[in-house]
Amino acid sequence: MKWLRGGGIWGFIVRRLLLGILVLFLVSVIVFAGTQALGDPARAILGRDATPDRLAALQAQLHLDQNVVGQYVQWLSGLLHGSFGTSLASQQPVSQLLGPRLVSSIVLVVISAVISIPLSIVIGSYAALHREKKFDTIVSNVMLGLASMPEFVTALLLVILFSTNIFHALPSISPVPPGHRAWEYPDELILPVATLVIAVTPYVSRIMRASMIEVLESDYVEMARLKGLSERTVLYRHALPNAIGPVFQVTAISLAYLAGGIVIIEYVFNYPGIGSALVDAVTNHDIPVVQALAVLIAGLYVVLNLLADVATILVTPRLRTRL
Amino acid sequence: MSQTELPTENAAALVEGVDVPTPAGRGSNLIRRSLRLGRTRVGLVLVGILVLIALFGPYLAPHAPDAFVGRPFSSPGGGAALGTDYLGQDVLSRFLHGGLDILILAIVSTAIGLVVGLAIGLIAAYSRNWLDEVLMRTMDVIMAFPQIMLALVAVTLVGPKNWVTITAIALTTAPRVARVARGAAQPVVERDFIGATEAMGMSKARIITGELLPNILGPMMVEASLRLTYSIAVIAALAFVGLANDPNAANWGTMISENQGALATQPWGALLPILAIALLTMGTGLIGDGIARTAAGIDRERGDE
Amino acid sequence: MNTRNAAIPRSLSAIRDRLAEGAQMTERGDKIWRVGESRGEGNPDGPWSLSRRQLFMGAGGVVLASTLAGCGGSAPAPSGGTNTTGAAGTPKRGGNFRLGVTGGGSKDMMDGQNIVTKPDQARLLTAFETLLTFDDNYQLQTDGLAESVEADNPKQYTIRIRDGIEFQNGKPFTADDVIYSLQRIGTEKNGLTGFAATATMDIKNLKKVDDRTVRLPLLSPDSTIPQTLASYTFGMVPVGYDKFSGDVSTQIGTGCYKLKSFTPGQESVHERNPNYWRGDGSPWFDTVTITDFNDSTAQLNALKGGQIDAMTDVPAGQVDSTKASGVGVLISQTGGWIPLCMAIDMPPFDDPKVRQAFRLIIDRQACLEQIGNGYGQIANDLYAPFDEGYDKSLPQREQDIEQAKSLLKQAGKEGLSVDLHTTNGAAGMVELASVFASQARQAGVNVTVKNDPNYYGDSYLKLAFSVDFWGTRGYLNQVQQGSLPNSPYNETHWPPKSGPGSNFEDLYHQALAETDTNKRIDIQHQMQKYEYDLGGYIIPYFNALIDGYASNVQGLSPSKGTLNLAGFGHGFRTIWFA
Repeated sequence: MKWLRGGGIWGFIVRRLLLGILVLFLVSVIVFAGTQALGDPARAILGRDATPDRLAALQAQLHLDQNVVGQYVQWLSGLLHGSFGTSLASQQPVSQLLGPRLVSSIVLVVISAVISIPLSIVIGSYAALHREKKFDTIVSNVMLGLASMPEFVTALLLVILFSTNIFHALPSISPVPPGHRAWEYPDELILPVATLVIAVTPYVSRIMRASMIEVLESDYVEMARLKGLSERTVLYRHALPNAIGPVFQVTAISLAYLAGGIVIIEYVFNYPGIGSALVDAVTNHDIPVVQALAVLIAGLYVVLNLLADVATILVTPRLRTRL
Repeated sequence: MSQTELPTENAAALVEGVDVPTPAGRGSNLIRRSLRLGRTRVGLVLVGILVLIALFGPYLAPHAPDAFVGRPFSSPGGGAALGTDYLGQDVLSRFLHGGLDILILAIVSTAIGLVVGLAIGLIAAYSRNWLDEVLMRTMDVIMAFPQIMLALVAVTLVGPKNWVTITAIALTTAPRVARVARGAAQPVVERDFIGATEAMGMSKARIITGELLPNILGPMMVEASLRLTYSIAVIAALAFVGLANDPNAANWGTMISENQGALATQPWGALLPILAIALLTMGTGLIGDGIARTAAGIDRERGDE
Repeated sequence: MNTRNAAIPRSLSAIRDRLAEGAQMTERGDKIWRVGESRGEGNPDGPWSLSRRQLFMGAGGVVLASTLAGCGGSAPAPSGGTNTTGAAGTPKRGGNFRLGVTGGGSKDMMDGQNIVTKPDQARLLTAFETLLTFDDNYQLQTDGLAESVEADNPKQYTIRIRDGIEFQNGKPFTADDVIYSLQRIGTEKNGLTGFAATATMDIKNLKKVDDRTVRLPLLSPDSTIPQTLASYTFGMVPVGYDKFSGDVSTQIGTGCYKLKSFTPGQESVHERNPNYWRGDGSPWFDTVTITDFNDSTAQLNALKGGQIDAMTDVPAGQVDSTKASGVGVLISQTGGWIPLCMAIDMPPFDDPKVRQAFRLIIDRQACLEQIGNGYGQIANDLYAPFDEGYDKSLPQREQDIEQAKSLLKQAGKEGLSVDLHTTNGAAGMVELASVFASQARQAGVNVTVKNDPNYYGDSYLKLAFSVDFWGTRGYLNQVQQGSLPNSPYNETHWPPKSGPGSNFEDLYHQALAETDTNKRIDIQHQMQKYEYDLGGYIIPYFNALIDGYASNVQGLSPSKGTLNLAGFGHGFRTIWFA
């Protein structure tokens, strides 16, 4: 495994990037093969209307007569030229179809992250510093309660509470009109964001707490204590700097978690993002769209992890030396 | 994405070859100690109650789960103590019938994911060579998809059949377990006694099962309870989107999706299964938390020795 | 048209979902075969009261037009509905009407003659109109783009269009457009919804007589041509028209609203057509916005929360709670049906005794109450309830478990196990399968429900036992769609290849060519008797369409037609904000 070592941080980044590309390639092959096994997209699109005449007409329109490998090569070369192809169901370029939805999803994820990550870090760190004390116990129980609520339940309860039955203060759905951006409708974002924050904060703050405990119990913190430094100095000089690494990890983890969580949230709030696009594309066997989304989501995962790891290494001296 | 509070999932584990402090301790000892914690006991009680409902509920149900007892979404009263559901069936009876499915699905799929993930993680950790790399990068490919998304896609594609749900959840559980198992096993592999057993000519399989496995039982039990929690949530979410195996099966997950529309007027149909799933998740979460804390405590004690 | 320009006849051309190509016969179809006899029923009501041109057919197959239906006109009696949104009050201009529709996705399209999803239906109706129309009582009317459609002889029709109608871009609507429109539908490679219904039309030889007159020759006699022309997917489009592919200016019809923007799977916006030809002030809204929804919960929440003004398909079980929250509910009894389909040539249903037994297992009343929450009418395994030839004399089938068991025993099929395939294609399909499975257990039959999202794509029409859905239509049109060897949607594989009923197709052709109403009804009764005794459909009830609307929406009234919200407010023309 020599080739996997060495080269310092740049070598690490290059290795991880190459691996990431390999992962993405494999993902695209697997997804492509998977969607091929599904059968005829023309049938899926027409559904009950797949009468012989309409089926033949649509098949001709969609150019479904090529062989599988040919279709994949064509897709890949299109991708290398920056094109995701054309959606079978809507006959629009995939980029045009997914672009606005991607923006909407990112808006939702980023806002939720901006709220939930600092919140989680504060709660998690505080609980770790006061481990097994009152705050820790209360917080961990509350968090456990929140975490045990499925996301869609939280969403439904919020809607009942704030828009349809108790208070009529907030919109119950968030259908960002095409041509507009999600942030133009801040009131429509409140409930989806609140749901995501409630879903992700307990989970991330628990990770933060565990990471923080790990740091607090590490050898060098112990060493600092043994040197007779004040607990305060130990905390701010030795523990916290080493806890920044976990913060990056936590950020990556929560962003990725949010990216998965939006599927259900988008469904409940009729929010036009990539989660609902994925469900729609799968239903229609719309291979180019499924492919594009798979690569996008997997790519997000790869990039997030890479960034988090690089950042972690850069801020954590003990890790840097191991490369 | 990784969904655990174990330190091994964090910074250190993501950097190749970094040692990770491992909560250790043999399983039975750990469980006994963890039971001293209030939270573990509360968790056990919660899970116990719900398992009992799931197992024996069907015998207590006043009606058949698909019997027609009144107009859809009737309020409690008459023959239906908690009212009727979307098809005029008795909510209470369906609730009592509805736990076993989701429990079995969650346990089976989690168990498969655990066993597969554990095997992969241990083999990877023990081999320390190209096999390690291949296995873990394969896990990366699978992990590149959020669990709920992969499950949703699989079920939409193939149809809402039990084996699809189980496969999808097991498949997405395995890599996450594998990472934790590998992370926990790596430092054990480095220890001297493994080298000693190798020198004694013990077979690889025996080393892995006989020496490695017992040493990482602690973190794996925490992982098991967490994975179970997530599996329950995914199954419930699939059912919520309307993708359940038998559309009218009495099942806590499908009950929520069938009756959530009337949550404001005839809440029982959805509220009862929501509460059950929430308490079940909370129970498994508490147990996992208890074990994790105990394991951490054991670790600390050891450090003090 | 009469002198009062407020004429807003309630025309409706609608067939549920994609079933548009078959047209309907009227419930009182006998009258359309007799010259000069008008329908007397109806209730004059407020600003709508107008004379309407009605369509009559002569005994010789001649279609006459333009008979006034009496002073003050007649609006159809709403059937099965419980409330109208107040035909009272004077229509007002203004507002943005926001409609939420389920069932769409990125495959949504905008085409004046084609649909795949439910939002497609709504969008089609914003801009495109048909030559003839159906009213709310399912009667053919000549208040569409044609002032008459006449049968010159059994094999030739003459279409005469109204003078002075313009498309939304100011181009006059002429005979050329009619020919282009019909030929576009009749060209197989275009793959349009209505293609199958053009089978009897000699599309190539359509002939322009003058700017307002078109001659439509037939390949074989077909008395259902007027109904076909009133189907909503027979929208009239300008010469050279093609479906939406990014440019809104290509979507030019004669209808009330002009496409302004359209994102498939999400939303479309439609602007008022200021030059709408009726000259009665309609349409009333400034804009119409149609939004796609994933499910009815989000839809209901949006309606209750004031984010939309109307929605399709309120779940039957939630009618009361919806009303209680201050939202209006429009209930329209239609001729739509959700059948259990037994393929008569596949085991175990190749034995008529088994089919008979299954038809005795079902408890129709319980189905109606459980699935439809009572909103609907009990059926008798026959379709087309509004057809004049619907045989009401056949005894109503009731559940009879003992008889069913004994039939199964005779057939050697005790303890039978079958798979029942279904999907979320239309409200009630999955529920019916579940309810039937539960009822079947009483007769010792083990029914396993298979809910398959790919059902229509993969296995449809090849299954022994399945659930499907149909909209309202006339008997002969329905037969053409689903009960002939070459029908596009023949789930039951009817008719039998030999023995009783094997002459079913011959009877169908006799009926199509029969110009004497009573004789035709006799033939239809023979056909229905075969289906009643030997057919593969189990039809528990005819369903109602249940839609929701905000309290300030005016002008909605129940309709027998098969599109939601009374044909989406008759192409968004007869509704307005208070």
